[in-house]
Amino acid sequence: MIRPWRIAQRIALQSRPFSSTTCSRFENLPKSNSPIVSKLDFFNSVTGNGSQIPTYRVIDGSGKLLEGAELPEMDEAFAKRLYENMMLLPTLDNVLYNVQRQGKISFYMTAHGEEATIIGSAAGLDKEDEVLGQYREMGVLLWRGFGMDNVMAQCFGNEEDFSGKGRQMPVAAGVGYALRRDPNRRGRSIAACYFGEGAASEGDFHAGLLLASTIPSPTLYIARNNGFAISTPSKEQYHGDGIAARGPGYGIDTIRVDGNDVLAVLNAVREARRRCLEQGRAVLLEAMSYRVGHHSTSDDSFAYRPRSEVEDRKRIDNPIVRFRLFLEAQGWWNAEAEADLKARLRADVMKSFKRAESLKRHELGELFSDVYAGEQPWNLVEQKEELGRLLRKYGNAWEPWKKELSKFKNNGEDVMGRV
Amino acid sequence: MTTARRLVHGLSRKGHPLALSSQRRSNSTKVEPPPAGGHLPGVANSKLLRTTRDTALRTPGISWKDEVSSGLGGRETQKMNTYQAVRDAMAIALTKDETAVVFGEDVGFGGVFRCTMGLAEEFGKERVFNTPLTEQGIAGFGIGMAAMGHTAIAEIQFADYIFPAFDQLVNEAAKYRYRSGGSFDVGRLTIRTPTMAVGHGGLYHSQSPEGFFMGAAGLKVVIPRSPIQAKGLLLGSIRDPNPVIFMEPKILYRSAVEQVPIDDFELPLGKAEILVPGSDLTLVTWGTPVYHCETALHVLNSPSKELESIIPASVRSAKIELIDLRSILPWDMETIVESVNRTGRLVIVHEAGMTAGVGGEIAAEVQKRCFLKLNAPVRRVTGWDIPVGLQYEKFHIPDAIRVVDAVYAADWLSIHDRIVTSVLHGTL
Repeated sequence: MIRPWRIAQRIALQSRPFSSTTCSRFENLPKSNSPIVSKLDFFNSVTGNGSQIPTYRVIDGSGKLLEGAELPEMDEAFAKRLYENMMLLPTLDNVLYNVQRQGKISFYMTAHGEEATIIGSAAGLDKEDEVLGQYREMGVLLWRGFGMDNVMAQCFGNEEDFSGKGRQMPVAAGVGYALRRDPNRRGRSIAACYFGEGAASEGDFHAGLLLASTIPSPTLYIARNNGFAISTPSKEQYHGDGIAARGPGYGIDTIRVDGNDVLAVLNAVREARRRCLEQGRAVLLEAMSYRVGHHSTSDDSFAYRPRSEVEDRKRIDNPIVRFRLFLEAQGWWNAEAEADLKARLRADVMKSFKRAESLKRHELGELFSDVYAGEQPWNLVEQKEELGRLLRKYGNAWEPWKKELSKFKNNGEDVMGRV
Repeated sequence: MTTARRLVHGLSRKGHPLALSSQRRSNSTKVEPPPAGGHLPGVANSKLLRTTRDTALRTPGISWKDEVSSGLGGRETQKMNTYQAVRDAMAIALTKDETAVVFGEDVGFGGVFRCTMGLAEEFGKERVFNTPLTEQGIAGFGIGMAAMGHTAIAEIQFADYIFPAFDQLVNEAAKYRYRSGGSFDVGRLTIRTPTMAVGHGGLYHSQSPEGFFMGAAGLKVVIPRSPIQAKGLLLGSIRDPNPVIFMEPKILYRSAVEQVPIDDFELPLGKAEILVPGSDLTLVTWGTPVYHCETALHVLNSPSKELESIIPASVRSAKIELIDLRSILPWDMETIVESVNRTGRLVIVHEAGMTAGVGGEIAAEVQKRCFLKLNAPVRRVTGWDIPVGLQYEKFHIPDAIRVVDAVYAADWLSIHDRIVTSVLHGTL
């Protein structure tokens, strides 16, 4: 396992001999172990020798094991499961992306190009670990058996939808600390927090890593560095050496991984997780990849990057193809299995989609529920009644409401007080 | 921000209400006298404070949360100021709930207002601990713990510094339950923060930001007026199944002293309390201005020689109903509307500026519900729509004389009477 921060320390010590006048007494720096030097010397890169933090990789673009690299512990069945889950993402993405284009759902975000990062990290976590995502990590849920029907339910907002979304980096630190305090989960579970390199510019990134390292809380921060935050390229997002360079500043173990190499991600996440549990504090993992798809269905990425660049990336380094080549070299996969899987996934997704499309939404009254636990405040009670009154009066006469009401279970009659 | 904070702490060593004596680390339960001269004269002689065991145990709405069911006979009280009552509430929460933790900037050594004095020693550093200086971090961290079902009691050192956490509180904490369809919630989160003016806090140690949170559906916002209220409402907030922002008027930390029941008790959230019943005008307020209003009632009733000629004699016998709102969100519309329907007049008093303040919300709702009963326009006595200037505080806060002025100038003669008079005199 490559440990760049250790190497960096060693290089720094070798290439930068401290002045022979180094003072061994630190009492003038009461809160620091910093040696005193007499030479004026600024520094920048955390690696000390000016090179960037290295990227950890296990298999190359043709699926071959790198010299000196170790394969993660896994059997054929596990490897196939990794691949099938990676393949599921583009299958779902293609259907739901097109469904959005037809106006059947309002919004969607694909994970094209980041399949290895998402599935590899999900596989490296324990099922009991708490996951706090951004929005491009649906694959983690699928890996954990969330089920396609639930994905569809959430996208359609139908009556089977019970999921939630969106947490943040300091929140993950709190989750990690709660796990540490729980006698049943202490030393067993960690919090894993996903975010993009753009989100890492928020103050919450600083707060989250700072808290999880200082308090300390077993929290694994997984940065998906895919090169873009909507239209903003990462070179306009930061001037330093990516996200990984920040980890050492918080005093936390850090690694940069090839996010297109599912086995490298798996190895790194397993080791990062072990360190989280061992040290009880934060670990940072930066997975380097490329956002092949548009940011979302509301974005046309060719407005800010050439189509050829995207096509090149897809051709040069596709995380799914790379892993398939590895599987084939192992004798675990072939063209027939590939065709079968594609057909099966497509059929499953379409079946789930058709089912989700046919379901009604929740009762309209759910609009007002779950704002508060316990007694509903008077204003919400009255406002729900007011909506009911308006619906009784205009529900059949006002076209925008009439059409919309029919999509809800009970056609809004629950709010009108008729059910 | 930090510099300003440290400056104030530096100043505070001389012994005013911000005082933070480095020598006194033990959890003293001895009540200290308010500062000489006092920053809030009204509170020293307030009749609203319950200074005997009997009155303390009979606090309206009190609900005992321990197993003892011996009635009031066996219950004890102890003289406490507000910070001691807050500390007492947290000690009870920590004792009874193993998942409860207390954290924030400088809470480990007892807090800059002593509210967490001795808690780290008593409950261990894993449960009462310092955080780095990051408000968005503190709020987010608390949300994370609460989402895991743990009781998180976070402190923001001054309400003035809650704004970096605004996103975490409004977009995350408030919406956690709703957006997950009830799958997740952060009901066990309580954010405590000192609020309101303190005599010399200037721009960033004086603010009353409750109005900013009033529209954050999903949160509750609570402000106590006294030690008993602080303890009961804080325990109620900690155990409420919703995230609560608990704002403690910092000028009352040492100056307000009561006999506080030592047992575990709660006071209800979302309920106002009628402190002085009346039939001529409703005066609604919360936190520190409760005492300005109390003083105003005395001044109206028996003005000093200097004021006698200014304040009309006709208002001397006015029966004014004083209400402590206590919960800003959700607020107790029913109690206020019932009162205004009886009195026909409403004056709302708060320290925050007038524009888009809590008073505007209440006024709008009351005029809708009490339109036919209102004998005068609803009036608001508030801080001006400006930051709290250090040297101008006495002219900024809604003190007793401004309340007096609003009450008697609040069209003591009803609009109805004036119309009749105008018609009779042909001046309409």
